[in-house]
Amino acid sequence: MALSFLLWAPLFFALVGALLGRRMAPKVALFGSAVTLGMAIYYIADFDTGKAGLQHVTDTVWIAALGIHYKLGVDGLNLFLLTLTTLLWCVATLYAYFRQWDRPQLFFFFMGLAESAVLGAFLSQDLALFVAFFDLMLVPFYFLIGTWGGRKRVQATTKLVIYTLVGSLLMLAAAIATGVESVGNSGQISFALSDLVRVGLPVGTQEWIFLLFAAAFLVKMPAFPVHGWLPDGYRAMPIPVVAVFSAVLSKVAAYGFIRIVLPLFPQAAVHFQELLLLIALASILYGSIMAFTQTDLRLIVGFSSIAQLGFITLGIFALNPQGTQGALLQMVNHGLVTAALFFIIAVLAARVGGSEDVRDMGGLAFRAPVLAALFLIVALATLAMPGSSNFMGEFYILLGVFESKLVIACVAFTGVVLASVYMLRAYIGAMHNRVGAKAQSRELSLRDGVVVAPLVLVIVAIAVYPQLLLKRQQASAQAAVAQTALLTHQLALPRATAQTAPVLPQGGQTP
Amino acid sequence: MSPTTWAWICLALPLAGCLFNAFVGRHLPGERTAGWIGTLAIGLSFVAAVGAFIALMGHSPDDRTFTSTAWDYADSVGVNAKLTILIDPLSVYMMLVVSGVSALIHLYSCVYVWKDRGFVRYFAYLNFFVFSMLLLVMAGNFVPLIIGWAFVGAASYMLISFWFRRTTATRAGIKAFVINVIGDVGLVLGTYFIVFRGSGSLDFLDTFKHVQAAFPPNDGDLVAGCILLLVGAFAKSAQVPLHTWLPDAMEGPTPVSALIHAATMVTAGVYLIARMHPLFEDATAAADVGTVVGCATLVIAATIALSQTDIKRVIAYSTMSQIGYMIMAVSASAYAAGMFHLFTHAFFKALLFMAAGSIIGAMGGEQSLDKMGGFRRALPFTFACFLAGGLALSAFPLFSGYFSKDDILALIGGEGGWHWILYVLGYLGAFVTALYTFRMIFRAFLGPECKEARELRETGHIAHHEHPFNPETYEEEDTDVGFPGPGHYIAEQQWPMKVAMSTLAIGAIFGGLIQVPFVDDLVNVYLRPDFVNDPTYEKVINDPSNGLLIFGLILSAVIAIGGIGLAYVIWVRRPSIAVAFRERFRPLYELSFHKWWFDELNDAVFVRPGATVGRWASNVFERVVIDGLVNGTVSVVRAGSSVVRGAQDGFLRVYAALLLLGLALVALWFLLQST
Amino acid sequence: MTVAWYLVVSALIFCVGAAGVLVRRSPLVILLCLELMLNAGNLALIAFSRMTGTGDGQIFAIIVMVVAACEVVVGLGIIVALYRRRLPIDVDQLRRLQG
Repeated sequence: MALSFLLWAPLFFALVGALLGRRMAPKVALFGSAVTLGMAIYYIADFDTGKAGLQHVTDTVWIAALGIHYKLGVDGLNLFLLTLTTLLWCVATLYAYFRQWDRPQLFFFFMGLAESAVLGAFLSQDLALFVAFFDLMLVPFYFLIGTWGGRKRVQATTKLVIYTLVGSLLMLAAAIATGVESVGNSGQISFALSDLVRVGLPVGTQEWIFLLFAAAFLVKMPAFPVHGWLPDGYRAMPIPVVAVFSAVLSKVAAYGFIRIVLPLFPQAAVHFQELLLLIALASILYGSIMAFTQTDLRLIVGFSSIAQLGFITLGIFALNPQGTQGALLQMVNHGLVTAALFFIIAVLAARVGGSEDVRDMGGLAFRAPVLAALFLIVALATLAMPGSSNFMGEFYILLGVFESKLVIACVAFTGVVLASVYMLRAYIGAMHNRVGAKAQSRELSLRDGVVVAPLVLVIVAIAVYPQLLLKRQQASAQAAVAQTALLTHQLALPRATAQTAPVLPQGGQTP
Repeated sequence: MSPTTWAWICLALPLAGCLFNAFVGRHLPGERTAGWIGTLAIGLSFVAAVGAFIALMGHSPDDRTFTSTAWDYADSVGVNAKLTILIDPLSVYMMLVVSGVSALIHLYSCVYVWKDRGFVRYFAYLNFFVFSMLLLVMAGNFVPLIIGWAFVGAASYMLISFWFRRTTATRAGIKAFVINVIGDVGLVLGTYFIVFRGSGSLDFLDTFKHVQAAFPPNDGDLVAGCILLLVGAFAKSAQVPLHTWLPDAMEGPTPVSALIHAATMVTAGVYLIARMHPLFEDATAAADVGTVVGCATLVIAATIALSQTDIKRVIAYSTMSQIGYMIMAVSASAYAAGMFHLFTHAFFKALLFMAAGSIIGAMGGEQSLDKMGGFRRALPFTFACFLAGGLALSAFPLFSGYFSKDDILALIGGEGGWHWILYVLGYLGAFVTALYTFRMIFRAFLGPECKEARELRETGHIAHHEHPFNPETYEEEDTDVGFPGPGHYIAEQQWPMKVAMSTLAIGAIFGGLIQVPFVDDLVNVYLRPDFVNDPTYEKVINDPSNGLLIFGLILSAVIAIGGIGLAYVIWVRRPSIAVAFRERFRPLYELSFHKWWFDELNDAVFVRPGATVGRWASNVFERVVIDGLVNGTVSVVRAGSSVVRGAQDGFLRVYAALLLLGLALVALWFLLQST
Repeated sequence: MTVAWYLVVSALIFCVGAAGVLVRRSPLVILLCLELMLNAGNLALIAFSRMTGTGDGQIFAIIVMVVAACEVVVGLGIIVALYRRRLPIDVDQLRRLQG
């Protein structure tokens, strides 16, 4: 099965839905997202676990003169991000399906377009193609927020667009520069990642290009000093949109670091490692502290996302296989829990007359044991309680950082403690204590249940067996950081194992 | 069947009970069916633990270590996290204590929360707790240990906040959870130091095997790792300064206090140190930290217990104090003694809490000692049980605590050097223990009868308050979900409570007989395979005719009787002494009453600065710097655009003219170029 | 006859058309003048086509005609719509269409 089907299926169904009119559009969109999810699951089943390289490659020359390829492929890095994307879109579409939208054809069309764009960014194995999809993502979200957003949507959209466009422009420049600079050595321009990796840029060039890419990705994540678009943006988006936005779009940026930056600019990554680690650390601390001063549930989740993305960045810039494994696992985990949290927020808001302020809530668990249980599971997973997959993610991340920069790992652990403070504070504020004045406790309805329950089920499932992901990601994760790990002299093996059992990581490229 | 099979059954039953109650418990017929199912699950789990014990004893002492792996949990890039259980004498010992005491407490709970609207939820949580605790003690790999460790914390949180509409309960819950997370962090970071700086394998047996090769003795990494493990142990076992959650945790239902905050969960730290003993043997500096902190806790907690008025809090502080003894013991390599005290303590402390629950039932939910009095005749059975537990706690001769506590202190004294200070403080603590225990007993059971006691004795009815209230703040409450139910029960009227308490009372009185100096040393012998490579352990076992032991037995007896006597004088014969003492030594009394100001310290150092920074970040930094960044950009763009906007005036002809002009200029440029 | 004379004619027609677009205010006349400009272009294209002896220029011219036809349709449609709404038929007064 060619990956193009997976990539374009959402857009195809969205177009069909839009043409069939307002009655059919939601149904077609729902069907389409389910089909896409099925295809993504097929790729997990068909995945060759031991292999580090790309699988199911589609490679055609798109613009020959510029050396731009239409090249798609799956490996351990993007396999589960594809599943995450399709799963969350399926759930979000289901949530949207049960609700009335102004001009539904357009709404579902943009949702489908957005899914295709995100899938394209995850799948593309060509730098120019990646940039194209990365920028295409912004278009549907611009309309989704601007048209169906809540209060102050115009301001929010403006902020979002300014921030991300600046980032995108920087990345575009960086991508072009990468292609052009790589010509000098090989004599032929090509944007295919495999070609670019082979060329290898001089250190000085790597460094400034690295900074441009880093800026673009950090804005998208968002990381600490450039997160200004987040509070307004998250508050303005409709629930299904904010769910996929916070859960998936931030991962595109983190994925970009692993897919593009680490293999292409290894020397620069090593050079700027500490800078990026410090930014990540600042994101963790700042996000956590902000999260426990906020009372708006969306903002609590939003700022907690900044902290969680900080952890992911930390893992990536540990520059060793442990950190990368952790970051990859944590991307999936964080996507699942944030999306679930946003849907739960919608459910809670419906019980206090639409307010999303935790001060208006209280005691909502009173008559809603199922809702309380689901929320508790998600909250505990968010704060990375051991036994959840999020814990394993953070375990790997912090282990990676522990092995490369001990002090930073120790400080980052405070983020773990703070996470328990703000998540439980939010949980208790909403579900426990005296019943709020406007609050009406009632059980989760079926139509909300079918949205939240599958997510919780997946969260529990990978909590029981995170090896499902780790096993398949291992080879690719090791390959992605093979160069940087070599540069930082991290053999990625602890003392005694190295002495007693010299089993080298499988699939790792050791030049 | 092999011991591991029994162990898996033992572990699976509580989980099955939890899931069953969680999913179908609400739809079961009968009022208390969920409770009976929960109790049955734990009872069968105890049977399985006994099965594991028998299977284990069927093997020769050199061959009593078994492992079994369920599945690879996270096995990649040098991390080998597998769901492995390690079954050896130590873990089976803990399994027996945990499942045995838990089964009795489940039985007791079937009555105690009978009328509570959260009855089913309660048993689901309780079963989950037992599952977590069993996972913790069976774990044969660091990751399942950490998982069990955190699950125990989460279960404790859920049970402390069980009455979730009480703000005091939710506040206590979050406090317990956060402090437990600090412990988890310590444990994880400690694991990093020990495993990834040294042994290279998360598996316990591998780690123990490699630890000496990987680290020189008292290596910095090893000591750091062990101290971090101790942080985990201190948080879970409520040792200074991470203890403040335990007294607050008394917000949970009384059986929960009995189960989690006395008999099982808080002993996890003791178990951890005993389990990790090959590491601590090599990191004596870290072990010394544990010894000192244990001793400090036992003294501090005992002094606080002297002045508290809430009966459950007094018992909670006594728990802290007794755990202090255990931590001190296992840190000073007196493993068998520490585990022995853990065993006897589980009996008498659970018993004391159950008896306290019975009194609280008789008081209609009131917990203050100030309002109690004279229950001796109204609650004869409870009185007998409380007395048995109290005597065991005070180490009264021939009761269980007598032998176990003496074991610990004799071994500490035997270490010599600065350990003599600990030895003296340990006996001082024992004296204070006897004092506060009997202060509690005399105030609750002797003296003039309070009106609840009189009513109960005369009419046989339990006192009823007009409105249910929070015993902490006296806020009014209702009895719906999230608040305690309307029912109050006493052991005298309910057979399950009676059965549970009598069983524990027998343990509290006779439990010590399994290891009586010069008579038998069953615990020592049983645990020996675990500590076979440990030189100090052999010394301990081979030297029971220690002079200190005899001296200690006499000293203990004198101290216990002395303490009880003094308590009798102060609180029964001459109550004015207590008041006079309080006035005379005001600062000491304040120190004790305000719990050494640990909460205030905590508040001033962590909570308030954190909140201030947070407020500043959200009100100032976010608004000025972050928003300023984007708003600044916006205004620059806007200013720039207003300059060009003038050209867009809507005159079509101007547009066309500009277009033509542009075209002409381009053409002109090309013309000039070509010439 | 060289191609130059054709180009001169073409340029003259183009200038007439451009001047018309710039000075007139009626959209109908502006549209006519636009057509004039397009046809001036066509004339040049065909002249070059003759000169080089290939058909390329003619094909271009035909495409331009098609585009011109489309444009006229849209333009006239707008003008008719303006009449219907009784709006002033004066491009200067229709400035607010700038949005």
